[in-house]
Amino acid sequence: MSSTNLNKAVSPEAGPDATPQAHDSASSKSSGWAVFTFFMIGFVGSLLAGWILFPELLYSQKNQPIDFNHAVHLDAVTDGCDSCHYFREDGSFSGMPDLAACEDCHQEAMTDNPEEVKFVEEYVTPGIEVPWLNHSKQPDCVFFSHAAHVQGADMSCASCHGDIGTSEHTRVYEENRITGYSRDIWGQSISRLGKPGPGDPRPMKMNDCAECHEDETGHKGACFQCHK
Amino acid sequence: MKINRRNFLSYGTALVLGGAAGSMLTPAPWKLMDDLAIWTQNWPWTPVPEDGPVSYKPSVCTLCPGGCGINVRLTGGRPVKIEGLRDYPVNNGSLCPMGFAGLQYLYNPARVISPLKREGKRGEGKWTPVSWDEAIAAVTQKLADLRAAGRPESVACITGSDHGAMDAFVSRFMTAYGSPNYIRSATAMDAMEQAIDLTQGQQGTPVFDIENADFILSFGAGLLEGWGSAGRMLNLFGNQKSAKKLIQIEPRLSDTAARATQWIAIHPGAEGALALGLAHVIIKESLYNKYFVDNFAFGFSDWVDETGRAREGFATWVKAYGPEKVSGLTGITPEKIMSLARDFAHAGKPIAISGRGNDDLPGSMDETLAIHFLNALVGNINKTGGVSALPETDYAKWPEINIDETASKGLQQARIDGAGGDEFPNTRFLINRLPGILLAAGESPIQALLVTDANPLYALADAENTKKAFDRIPFIVSFASFMDETAAFADYILPNHTHLERLQVVPATAGVARQIIGLAKPVVKPVYDTRHIGDTFINMAGALGGFVAQAFPWKNYEAFLTESMGNQWEELNQKGRIEIDHSLPDPMAFAFNTTSAKFEFYPTARSTKRQAGDSALPTFTPVPIEGDPNRFKLTLIPYDAMRLAGGDIANVPFLTKILDDTVLKKQTGFVEINPATAKKLGFKEGDSAKLATPKGEAMVRVHLFEGIMPDVIAMPRGLGHTAYSDYLSGKGTNVNALMGSVEDPTSGLDMAWGIRASLTRA
Amino acid sequence: MKEKHSNTPAKRYGMIIDLDKCTGCGACMVGCYAENNIPFKPDETNKLDSINWIRVFKLTNHKPYPETEICYLPMPCMQCDGVGKHGHSPCVSVCPAVATDYNYDTGIISQIYTRCFGCRYCMAACPYHARKFNWWDPVWPADMEKYLSPNVSPRMRGVVEKCSFCFHRYQLAREKAYMEKRTDLAEGEYQTACADACPTKAITFGDLNNKDHAVYKLKNSPNAFRLLERLETNPKVYYLTTKKWVRKAGDNYLAHEEPETLKTRIKEHH
Repeated sequence: MSSTNLNKAVSPEAGPDATPQAHDSASSKSSGWAVFTFFMIGFVGSLLAGWILFPELLYSQKNQPIDFNHAVHLDAVTDGCDSCHYFREDGSFSGMPDLAACEDCHQEAMTDNPEEVKFVEEYVTPGIEVPWLNHSKQPDCVFFSHAAHVQGADMSCASCHGDIGTSEHTRVYEENRITGYSRDIWGQSISRLGKPGPGDPRPMKMNDCAECHEDETGHKGACFQCHK
Repeated sequence: MKINRRNFLSYGTALVLGGAAGSMLTPAPWKLMDDLAIWTQNWPWTPVPEDGPVSYKPSVCTLCPGGCGINVRLTGGRPVKIEGLRDYPVNNGSLCPMGFAGLQYLYNPARVISPLKREGKRGEGKWTPVSWDEAIAAVTQKLADLRAAGRPESVACITGSDHGAMDAFVSRFMTAYGSPNYIRSATAMDAMEQAIDLTQGQQGTPVFDIENADFILSFGAGLLEGWGSAGRMLNLFGNQKSAKKLIQIEPRLSDTAARATQWIAIHPGAEGALALGLAHVIIKESLYNKYFVDNFAFGFSDWVDETGRAREGFATWVKAYGPEKVSGLTGITPEKIMSLARDFAHAGKPIAISGRGNDDLPGSMDETLAIHFLNALVGNINKTGGVSALPETDYAKWPEINIDETASKGLQQARIDGAGGDEFPNTRFLINRLPGILLAAGESPIQALLVTDANPLYALADAENTKKAFDRIPFIVSFASFMDETAAFADYILPNHTHLERLQVVPATAGVARQIIGLAKPVVKPVYDTRHIGDTFINMAGALGGFVAQAFPWKNYEAFLTESMGNQWEELNQKGRIEIDHSLPDPMAFAFNTTSAKFEFYPTARSTKRQAGDSALPTFTPVPIEGDPNRFKLTLIPYDAMRLAGGDIANVPFLTKILDDTVLKKQTGFVEINPATAKKLGFKEGDSAKLATPKGEAMVRVHLFEGIMPDVIAMPRGLGHTAYSDYLSGKGTNVNALMGSVEDPTSGLDMAWGIRASLTRA
Repeated sequence: MKEKHSNTPAKRYGMIIDLDKCTGCGACMVGCYAENNIPFKPDETNKLDSINWIRVFKLTNHKPYPETEICYLPMPCMQCDGVGKHGHSPCVSVCPAVATDYNYDTGIISQIYTRCFGCRYCMAACPYHARKFNWWDPVWPADMEKYLSPNVSPRMRGVVEKCSFCFHRYQLAREKAYMEKRTDLAEGEYQTACADACPTKAITFGDLNNKDHAVYKLKNSPNAFRLLERLETNPKVYYLTTKKWVRKAGDNYLAHEEPETLKTRIKEHH
């Protein structure tokens, strides 16, 4: 409903360009400009809210339990990412190493790095698994085969996970308050416009999978390929 | 610009519209839509199973005595699936549905999750969880008191099966304590064991070498419905390389009959007559194995006993069972009887198997002997493809047991069930006689009852009466893992681990020519506050002290196994099994352990005290099943089904789920009835009816099935539980409860195969 | 995705069930329940709402005693190829949400629970009653959640589910093959849980297009037939039986019709 129509309703006799002649004082009449202003306030306000405030509100910020230094580890191990994130013989992917794997080296603190000391004291000694926050965690309905991508298609870890291997600190984990999944899945860009930077992790929505599959294999793939 | 009531609306509208328009140009609505969609796909109450490395743990299933190899798949240490163990020599990877449903025994709403002490009345279901120390102290106090009073024999133990180290363990406890009253649940093996003992002088587990037989004459054995080791039998059936003829004789088209080469419909209870009729034809036509009969059999031809009295041999005896007469008794044509006898005798490796259904009921001794004689007539005794008895293998070296004076006195007392006594000298266990004995005595001869792996209050005939009888026992201790009917009636429950949580040595029993001793290993740490029954008995022995404690010098059951099995333990633990070649007696020189040192067609050791005609030879006298035929015009027979656990273990949800809706509908069970009989009685498919037998009544529905003999109705075992959880309790009717037990005159075993019944409009 | 994959030869996984070997024990059903996280309720006797991916039916020839015969008929999803084997199976054709789809790599019909919104058109379309609806959220009592397999996603209320030919087992077999730098799977590497579970080996599973697989030969056996063949749903589940009455129970025949003549007609049609 526009303001013109509203006025028409008030004074049916008035011509299209006529100022409303009713007993209302001029100041109480809604002026077109004012209406426009309010429209724009709403418009701009929601733009700001949608682009700036909404992402702030949508995601909560969490820190990893330990500030893990990938770079140090990558230097120390011989087999690259595979040293800790390895494939099992049956082709399944181990994902995040469990405490037992860490204990191979960190039975006791190897340095006086406070994070390592904290890790040993709070997790290794009492034998508690570290509740790592997984940036790539997918819903239960998703079946993702690391073997198909890494072993089959010879992709590098970084092609999806970015330069995490050389990071010295963990990133803040932004958790979607509605879905519980990481912001990384949707992508850092709330609009999903543009491409992630060269070292950034790739977004992991179904469309992202399909897009890449379309590019690389010529088809998006069948439902059961990635769903269980 | 002043805002009043009127222009407020327009400004407000503008604001909202502006907001709406603006938001469309932001990611918010689209992102929210997507997030909400994902939110609705991940309800917090829909479980997300945790992932992890996959591993397999081989073990042996101990849900029934079959001893099939299982392979438990674990994900991150969590058992998620049970599959058949491919190279296990018993079952070669085949498994029954119960085995596949094994994890629902590990996690089950009916599990007893800690020791319980009864509060309130018996069977009321009010319990107080107690600590293990408290429970063991209470039970041993009672046992110690009875010993102190010089009455150790008043303690009885009912167990599910006496094969395997665990059962020997419990039986040892009873001996050290001083009670002869170790009682095994009834099975068809009771009668078969006795038949082999009487005729061959061999004590042991009957072995039917079906692997190597080529003609199987089954007198109602549910070979494909859970008989023996279900995994083994199904595997053999599916193995095309070993084509066998299977002749199934029974009054109902069972699943075994349906898959048999031939189904021979017989009047219920006439199996013994048919066996004698077949023997008649085989002997008359000289089709029997003369080498065996002439050289290694006694009592085949007429003979003179030591008093000089002329006795009839079996060959003369069976002359009374000509095809015409047997045809009248069995409903099978004389031609068919004759051709069956010829086919059996001409087969390369024929084998005759007695025992109806799933081994659950012993049956009559006359019938069992008559059927076993068919094996003897073709000389298929103690050889491959035949029948033999597997001696109890001494795989465990038990330290010597010393008993004190109290125990020695107790052990000299007669068994409460009368087994092995004057009346029934050849029988080892007579659980079926317990209810009668308990009710007849002034004071209950059983002052304390221990129940392991058995559920007599469900399995014994005439549930009402049995319950009344058991209520006379002042103290009942159950070691059940589940709240079964007997546990629910107990005073204390000391819950055992389930089959996936406990270490157990499992000899494969019935039927494998070589003995396979398997090791059931725990695949998961105990889920609840339960204890290995072996440990519980070691604890109890320790608390009793003295010689009883000395008989159990081990720290725990595992220590017992490692120590008593010596060198074999290493192999067993590594390989999961030991195979012992069961050396059969030399087939060219059959030596039997009987008085005559021959196979006795006239079993001289058989008690003839209560046998008509003073002969030990098997005769056919119809089993006097209960009920006035004028009032109860139908005959009710129980049957066993693969999808129903009918004995000491009960169905889990998966098993009940696969039941047809013509077996169970809502909470009501069905009786199978022939359409002709149904028409006569005015029933249509699915109609409700009142089923009555001399032992009780039940509301049922009728299922019309052409494969059941007219005027006979059939009901499966395994339903009608009153205990367990909502997933089983109150569903259908317990057919055992409606049955009556009929004592065999010479063995005392229950030989009832059915009962008279009526079906009336509800 | 409706086009055929070009990089791998298309497989058509199928099943041959020898009815003469089936004893009706039900191990296939329980094996399937355990493999696929199938839920259960205290009362499962209303078979319309009882969730089964494979159900064993009992057939009778209805002849009077003692001429009676029975036969058990296990029925999983028939994984129909549709008319002309183009993947237009009855269910896929009607799904408005692309929650169920034909996989041209394997011939297996997928069902994606999170995509399904429960309209149940597919259930109405399926002539084999292979599809089941979740009227309730599943409940696993007494810690039973702990035995759930991570390979198959537990379903929620309001969605349809059905047999997937244990597609996850195909996926896992492929992962292993990738590790070993193989692209093809051996016959035994991918078997459904029911075929694995069948203790009498009545169920044979494999690629119907692969001459080396047992199913290839078995499907051409003179004893082979499929259910409701005249609908031309082209099921990939075949049955074997030597009994004519059983074969006749596999379709609706008029008095003068015989299964044998029908088979010729269908063959001529293609």
